[in-house]
Amino acid sequence: MSLRFFYRKVNMGHPLVPLNGRSVRPRPLIPVTLIGPLDSWTDEGLLDTGSDDTIFPEGIARRIGVDLTNAPSSRGAAIGMGVVPLRYAEVTLRVADNREQHEWVGWVGFTPAKLRHATLGFAGFLPYFTATFLGDREEVELAVNSLYPGT
Amino acid sequence: MSTNHRRIIIPDTRHYPENRSKVPPEEMLKYAGEHVAWSPDGTRILAHGRDQDQVIAELEAAGVHFSEVVWEHVPPLDAEDSLL
Repeated sequence: MSLRFFYRKVNMGHPLVPLNGRSVRPRPLIPVTLIGPLDSWTDEGLLDTGSDDTIFPEGIARRIGVDLTNAPSSRGAAIGMGVVPLRYAEVTLRVADNREQHEWVGWVGFTPAKLRHATLGFAGFLPYFTATFLGDREEVELAVNSLYPGT
Repeated sequence: MSTNHRRIIIPDTRHYPENRSKVPPEEMLKYAGEHVAWSPDGTRILAHGRDQDQVIAELEAAGVHFSEVVWEHVPPLDAEDSLL
């Protein structure tokens, strides 16, 4: 069994030359819920094998009750954004489709930088799944693997 | 002294991916640059706006907590064409 998600067709509002005039960008954006001590927040995150970390906006940490005051910190580099500060916390992550659901505790980096999308990168997310990007179908499959620590 | 412990709400998003995928991309152009709060099943937009706090206030006025929706940020029309 595996989770399967359609790529989100993001309308750019004009024809895109590298996509032969198509005006939508297919992106592997999937709904993911962060569960903190006080609340939860469900957002769309971009599955990104090029991202070292799973990153969400700092404001979400505040809303779900994650205190970042003494959190371990680091810096990340995003193309076009320069260096951005990160503060890490362990939170519960949850993904689901109409066939199965998975929930685990993972490290998430929170940043004050303005993000286009939350990023589902290696730390916190991708080690636990075998991800198959079905480019022709514009779908992605996530199958839990032996490292998956959750339920 | 009283404490107010609210149960954490986990939205049921099992049908979100399928239903959200049925929304034509051109439909979302009118929300360009906005935060959109979707029903957990991806069938309805419950509130939207440029300011997320304002969207949360609109939701609360309708009796919906921010944790009961799926958030999406629709890129503005002048957004960069590609993510690198």
